[in-house]
Amino acid sequence: MSRAQVEQPTHRPVNEPDGAELEALLSRCAAGDRSALETLYTRVAPILLAVLMRILRRRDAAEDALQDVFVSVWQRARQFDPIRGRALAWLVSMARYRAIDMQRAARPAVALNEVSALEPQLQSEGPLDASEMLGAGALLVRCLEQIAAPQRHCLMLAYHEGLTHSEIARAVNEPLGTVKSWVRRSLLALRKCLES
Amino acid sequence: MNYEDPELLDRLAAEYALGTLRGPARRRFERLCARSEVARHVLYRWEDHWSYLSRALPAVQPSARVWLNVSRQLFGEVVPAPRVSRWRTWQVAAAASLVAIALIVGLIMRQAALPPLQPLVVLGTDSAHPVWRLERRQPLTALSIEVVGPVPPAAGKSYELWALPHGGAPVSLGLLPAAGNAERKLSKSQRAALLAAEKVAVSVEPLGGSPTGSPTGPIVIVTNVPAPG
Repeated sequence: MSRAQVEQPTHRPVNEPDGAELEALLSRCAAGDRSALETLYTRVAPILLAVLMRILRRRDAAEDALQDVFVSVWQRARQFDPIRGRALAWLVSMARYRAIDMQRAARPAVALNEVSALEPQLQSEGPLDASEMLGAGALLVRCLEQIAAPQRHCLMLAYHEGLTHSEIARAVNEPLGTVKSWVRRSLLALRKCLES
Repeated sequence: MNYEDPELLDRLAAEYALGTLRGPARRRFERLCARSEVARHVLYRWEDHWSYLSRALPAVQPSARVWLNVSRQLFGEVVPAPRVSRWRTWQVAAAASLVAIALIVGLIMRQAALPPLQPLVVLGTDSAHPVWRLERRQPLTALSIEVVGPVPPAAGKSYELWALPHGGAPVSLGLLPAAGNAERKLSKSQRAALLAAEKVAVSVEPLGGSPTGSPTGPIVIVTNVPAPG
């Protein structure tokens, strides 16, 4: 994957914040500029809330997590390494990890049997439509498309819904060992494809 | 585990970023990243890849309380937003309550700003002591609030602004800043409430705002607002 491709996409999805602007805002946050945090909030909070609501499934829990994330962003802005690029990936990851840490307590246990019903929604929400993404995003989508549908579905349940191996196993009605090895082999295939 | 095995490191990073690495293994990997730059970089690569899936989700607007709580938790007050317009003239037009007098503002000259601001109301403890000047975006998407006089001290409390729609329950329009100025985006329901409001009010609430969604503390200002133009 070419770094230049990633940092200078020819276009971004609708509402996608500008990466260079996010990085500038983060460095202003690191310097203690409070208005930069507010601007950053207006740019990315709606994206992060979408991510958090998928995993936590309740708006109140997701908004609590969003609050925690922005407090952490302010406190950890100095740790953001601009060399790594892609501020949005850093922010999305921070939100997802917060949700994963919170989810055991916050997520209704009953929701599991509804998870398999989410599959059409996952597809209709279009993360697997390569035509909408360029550069690294399109590469990821192309590589995901090479993975067989049931295995890919497991990856999507893990990523978007924040499911554990055993939750995925129940959702797709396969033995835990099968799901673990599907995930492991899919990731290996994905890495090979992404590096090719 | 031998973390120097690149295959293993990559698998752990991929499962950490995906979210399937859980429990003590998740914590172990975090400790590894804290001390190993190689591990961090492998993780960053996966985070970057996966994040493209999140960007495709339809965005969800957070409710106003989230930002209020963030700024209260970090700064103890609401952070002023950058101000984009400046008043040159305004005139007093009227209106009072037992505790307060508000000045309805008539005329405003704006510097280039999008969308434009229109005067809404000036809230004060009496006619000689304006405290907050409110302007509305036209069309009504947000309120711009500027502190124009000393805010009466209220230790450990916040001032909260309410729309009082005719015949309906008060609807919070957010907290009033203690200093500087702030821009408050309005939700659909806040917008509707303000458009239907004949009056706005200010109450004294616990830090961060009313815990119930309705005014809980003393109302210190009630004033008429002009009909939407």
